[in-house]
Amino acid sequence: MIKTIKLFLASAIAILFFNSSAFAGGHYTGPDLSGQKVTMFGPWLAPEDATMREVMDIFSKATGAEVEYGGSDSFEQQVMIDLKAGSAADLVVFPQPGLAANAAAMGGLAPMGNDIKQLVLDNYAAGQSWVDLSTYADENGNDQFYAIFFRTNVKSLVWYSPDNFEDNGYEIPGTMEELIALTEQMASDGNTPWCIGLGSGAATGWPATDWMEDIMLRTHPPSVYDDWVSNDMPFNDPKVLEAMDFFGSFALNDNYVNGGSKAVATTDFRDAPNGLFTSPSECMMHRQASFIPAFFPEGLEAGVDYDFFYFPAFSTKDLGTPVLGAGTVVAATNDNQATVEFMKFLMHPEPHEHWMAKGGFLTPHKGVDGSKYASDTFRKLGEILTGATTFRFDASDLMPGAIGAGSFWTGMVDYTNGKSAKDVADSIQASWDAIK
Amino acid sequence: MIKKINFSSLLSQLLLLFFVIIWITPTFGLFISSLRDKDLLAISGWWTSLTTTHVNEIYRMSGKEEQIEENGYFIIKGNFFNNVEGKKIQSFGISSKRINQFKIGETGIFKDKSEVNIFENGDYIWKSLNKFEKKKGKRIFTTSLSPPKFTFDNYKEVLFKEGIGQAFINTLAVAIPSTLIPLIICSFFAYALSWMQFFGRDTLLAIVIASLVVPLQMSLIPILTIYNDIGALFGVAAKSYPGVWMAHTGFGLASTTFLLRNFIKSLPNEMMEAARVDGATHYDIFLRIILPLSIPAFASIFILQFLWVWNDLLVGLVFLDQVPSEIILTAKLKELLGSRGENWEILTTGAFVSMTVPLLIFFLLQRYFIRGLVAGSVKG
Amino acid sequence: MSIVSLFLIVCLGILIFIAYFHISNFILDHFVNNKSKKFSHETSIRAVIFIAPAFIVLFIFILYPVFETVRLSFYDKFGRDFVGLYNYIWAFKDPEFRRGILNNLGWLLVVPTLSTFFGLVIAKLADKIWWGTFAKSIIFMPMAISFVGAGVIWKFIYEYRGPGDVQIGLLNAIIVFFGFEPQAWITIPIWNNLFLMAIMIWIQTGLALVIFSAALRGIPKEMLEAARIDGASEFRIFFSIIIPYLEQTILVIWTIITILVLKIFDIIFAMTNGEWQTEVLANLMYDWMFRGGGDSGRGSVLAIVIMLGVIPIMIWNIHKHREEQKI
Repeated sequence: MIKTIKLFLASAIAILFFNSSAFAGGHYTGPDLSGQKVTMFGPWLAPEDATMREVMDIFSKATGAEVEYGGSDSFEQQVMIDLKAGSAADLVVFPQPGLAANAAAMGGLAPMGNDIKQLVLDNYAAGQSWVDLSTYADENGNDQFYAIFFRTNVKSLVWYSPDNFEDNGYEIPGTMEELIALTEQMASDGNTPWCIGLGSGAATGWPATDWMEDIMLRTHPPSVYDDWVSNDMPFNDPKVLEAMDFFGSFALNDNYVNGGSKAVATTDFRDAPNGLFTSPSECMMHRQASFIPAFFPEGLEAGVDYDFFYFPAFSTKDLGTPVLGAGTVVAATNDNQATVEFMKFLMHPEPHEHWMAKGGFLTPHKGVDGSKYASDTFRKLGEILTGATTFRFDASDLMPGAIGAGSFWTGMVDYTNGKSAKDVADSIQASWDAIK
Repeated sequence: MIKKINFSSLLSQLLLLFFVIIWITPTFGLFISSLRDKDLLAISGWWTSLTTTHVNEIYRMSGKEEQIEENGYFIIKGNFFNNVEGKKIQSFGISSKRINQFKIGETGIFKDKSEVNIFENGDYIWKSLNKFEKKKGKRIFTTSLSPPKFTFDNYKEVLFKEGIGQAFINTLAVAIPSTLIPLIICSFFAYALSWMQFFGRDTLLAIVIASLVVPLQMSLIPILTIYNDIGALFGVAAKSYPGVWMAHTGFGLASTTFLLRNFIKSLPNEMMEAARVDGATHYDIFLRIILPLSIPAFASIFILQFLWVWNDLLVGLVFLDQVPSEIILTAKLKELLGSRGENWEILTTGAFVSMTVPLLIFFLLQRYFIRGLVAGSVKG
Repeated sequence: MSIVSLFLIVCLGILIFIAYFHISNFILDHFVNNKSKKFSHETSIRAVIFIAPAFIVLFIFILYPVFETVRLSFYDKFGRDFVGLYNYIWAFKDPEFRRGILNNLGWLLVVPTLSTFFGLVIAKLADKIWWGTFAKSIIFMPMAISFVGAGVIWKFIYEYRGPGDVQIGLLNAIIVFFGFEPQAWITIPIWNNLFLMAIMIWIQTGLALVIFSAALRGIPKEMLEAARIDGASEFRIFFSIIIPYLEQTILVIWTIITILVLKIFDIIFAMTNGEWQTEVLANLMYDWMFRGGGDSGRGSVLAIVIMLGVIPIMIWNIHKHREEQKI
C-alpha cells in the first residue's frame, strides 16, 4: 500500500494549485431521496462539525434526504462499539486509514462499487494512489474498495507569528541545522521556542507521532520509513530510538517548550498554538498540520497574524525535502441508495469547495475552483509540496489500530513524561507482537 | 467540666467546618468561574475574582483604509476596546520584546518614524508623515487593569450555541422513562418476591442479588447486537430512546428490586391476610394496600434511579447516537472536555448546567434520597 | 425530533407498561370470575404476570451478557475462532493488565477505607452541632454530581501552568504561594492515582455519612451515658463503644463502596484515559474491547476478572441475606 502512494500528494496538489482551471463544478444535483436518511459519524467536533453539517445540508437540499452528523472525542472506541453491534451510522469518517482497514476486516464496512471507484480515479489527482489507500481486506481476506478520502492535510509545517519573528530579528530556517540553531538562539534570547501539546481526549499523544514521522523522514531514507510502518523493521530499532530522542531534544528540554516538558502531554493540541498569540508570546513556533488554523484564536488573519514555513530537512543528509501528509477517509457501512448517493456527492466539487472556503481544507479533487480557497496561505502549501522530493502518508495512520491508535500514542505520552526511548519503543513493539 | 465540654465542642465545630470547606470549595470554585468573564477566567484564579486583574493583550491598529490627512500628518484613530468601558490601560509596548515599554502619555515611535499615542480608555492615535501603505496596522501590546467582571454570557453561550440546551432536554427524555419504567415493573416483581408463593422464589432472589455486582460494560456489545437485530427486523434504528430506557431499566433493575423488596417485605402481614380473606386478588392488594403505603419508598428509589440515569455517561454514549437530537448532557460535557480543552468558561458552565437538576432534586427531596439509601443499606 | 413528539414518546413508553399490568390482570380477573371461584392456577398465572417483564429484562440485560462474555473470552478478537485459554494467558503476561490490577487494588485499599472513615468522623462531629444538618448537606452534595461533572471540577483544581505563569488551578496556586514549583498533578506516576482517588472519596464520603448518621441515632443513649459517667473521654467512647456498635453498618458501607470502586471507570475515562500509569481494569477492558479495532476476547477476559473480584462480596451478601431470612 505504501509503495504505491509515494507520488500521490505531489501530483495531486500540483494539479490542484496550478491547473485549477476556471471550471467550477456548478451545483450538485441528485435523485429525489425524500423520506430517506443518511447519518454520519466522525471525529470532528466544534468548530469543524458545523462545517460538515453545512456540507451535509447541501446534499439534503439537493435530494430531500434527511441528514445527521454526530461527532465524538472518543471516536476510536465509539466506532468499534457501533461496528461490532452493527449499529454504526451509514457513513463513518475515519481519521486514519488503518482504522478503516480494521473496520473492513471486521466485516463492518460495505464495499463500494466500481462506479464510485471510477469517480475517484477520474476526479482525484493520482486517483490510483487514493484508490489503493482505500482498498482493504474484507473479513474473508479479499481486497475490496471501500472509501473516499475527503479532506487531506499536509503535516510538515511550522506555524509562527511573522511579527514576533520580525521583532526579534529571526529568519525563517531553511535547513534542520538552522532550525536547531534558531531554537537555541531563541532560548538564549529568553524566548520559548516551541509550543507542543499532545492532549486530544482519548487520542492523546498523536501530535508526537507526527513529530516522530517527520523526523524519521528527515533522518533516514524513505525505505526505512516504509519498513517501520510495516514493522519489517522493529519499532525498537536504534533508528527509531534516534528519531524519538531527536524529538526529545525539543520536547524534553524545559527551556525549549512552553510550560516545560511537564506541560507537553497535558496541554491540549487545540490550545497549544495559542501561545504564539499571547502577550508576551509564550512560544515562537508550533509544528502542526495544515488544519490547525481552525483552532487559532478568533479574528486572526493568515499571512498577517500567522504564517507557516516548511519543517526543514538536514542539509548534511542527502534525503531531499520530504513531506508528510494525511487525510480523513469516509466509508459506508451499508449500500442503501441514499448512502451510496452521498458517496457520489462527496466526489462532486461542491462539498470540497464549501469547506475550502472555510479554511483548513485541502483536496486532491481536480474539478474544484482553486479561487475558493480561504486564503493565499493555502495556495502557498502548493509550493511546499511541489518542492518536495519524498512523500509519505502518516505512519501511525497506516499502522494497525492497536498501534497507530493505541500504543504508539500512549507510548509517546510516556516518553514525554520521562520514560526512556528504549523502554517506550520496547513496549510498543511488544504490543505489536501481541496482535500478530 | 463545663469548660472542657465547650472546648471539645468548639474543636469539633472547627474540625467540621474544615471538612465542610474542603468539600464545598471545588463546587464553589466551579460556580464562581462559570459566572466570570471568559478572558479573566483564563488568566486568573477564581479566588481572585473580586480583585482587579492585570491583563496583557495584543491589539492590531487599523490599516491604510482608515487613514485621514490632518495638518500634514497621516493619522489613523480608533479604540481597541470597541468603546466598551471597564478596562484601563496602564502601559503599552510596540514590540513583543518590550510589552511594557511606555506609560500612558508617552509616545511610542516605530522604526518607520511613525508615532503612536495610547489612552487609558483604549483610544489610539497613530500618525506619520508618510502615507500608510499596509492593509493592516501594527500591533500594540497593552497591559491594562480589568475590574472584577461577572456575566451570564457563558450561560447564554453554552445553552444556545454549544447545544447544551438541547442536550438538557434529551437527558430529561432519557431520564424520566428510565426511572419510571423500572419502578413500575420492579414494584410488581418485588411484590411477587415478597408475598407470592411460587416455585424457585429464593433462587430468583439470589439471582437478583448476584446481578447487583455485574459490571455493566460487559453488557454493551451483546445488547447492542440484540438491538440491532431487532432494529433490522422491524426496520427501525438500533439506537433510540426506547432502547436506552430499556437498557437503564435492565441495569437498574437489580438494585431497584432489591430496595423495593426490602420495603414491601417489611409491611405488616396482617393487612395482606385480612384482604385475602375478603377475597381480594394479589392485584387488588397491590393496588389498594401496597401502592399507597409504598409512596415514600417509591419516592426515594425514584430519586436514586433518576440521579443515576441523569449522571450516567456510558449507557448514553453507547445506546444513543452522538447527534444533537440524541446526545445527553454527560456525553456532551465529555465532548466539550475533549474539544474545548482549556476553554474553561464553556467547561465550567456546562458542568454547572448539568448539575442543576441533580442539585435541585437533591436539595428539595434530600429527605427521601437519604431515606432510600439508608433503607437499602442498614436493613440490607 | 421536536419537544412535543419527544414528550409523546416518553408518555407512550411509560403508559405501555402500566397498560400491560392493568390489562393482563383485568383479563385474568375476568377469566377467574367467569369460571369458578376456585380457579387453582390463579396465583401461579398472576405470579407469572407480575414477574415476567422484570425477569425478561433481567435475563436479556444481565444474565445473557454474562454468559456471552464468558463464551467470548475463549474466542479470538472477532469472536469467530475458539482459542482456548489463550486470552487468559495473554492477560497475565500483559504489563498493562498487571498495572490495572495493582491500581485497582490501590483503589480498593484507599477509597472505601477513607470514605468510610471520613463519613464516620463527620457523622459523629455533625451529630450534636446545631448546624450539623447543613454541614451534612454540603458533604453529601457531591453524590448528586455526575462523575464527568466531578471530572471537570477536579480537572480545574489540578490544572497546571508552567512555572512563572499565573496558576488558575487551586492546588498549584496554593503550592506556588508556599514557594514550591507547580506540578502537573495527574501526570506524576503512582501519586496521580491518589489525586484521582480523592475525587471518588469526595463523592462517596457523603454516602457513608448519611448512613452513619442514621445508624448513630440507633445507639442506645444509656450506653453512652453510662460510659460518660464512668469518666470515659469522647475519644475513647468513639473507639470503644461507637465503632464496635456500628460494625455491621461499617461493613455494609465498605461493601457498597468497594463494589463501586471495582467497577470504577468514568473518572479515569474522563481524567486520564489510563495514561500516566493510572490504568484500571474497567477502563482497560473498555480500551481492549473498542480501541484500535477492538478485541472482544481480551476485553471479555478483563470483564471476567472484574466479575471474579466482586464474587466474594456477592457471596457474602447472599449469605448475609439468607441468615436474615432465618431470623
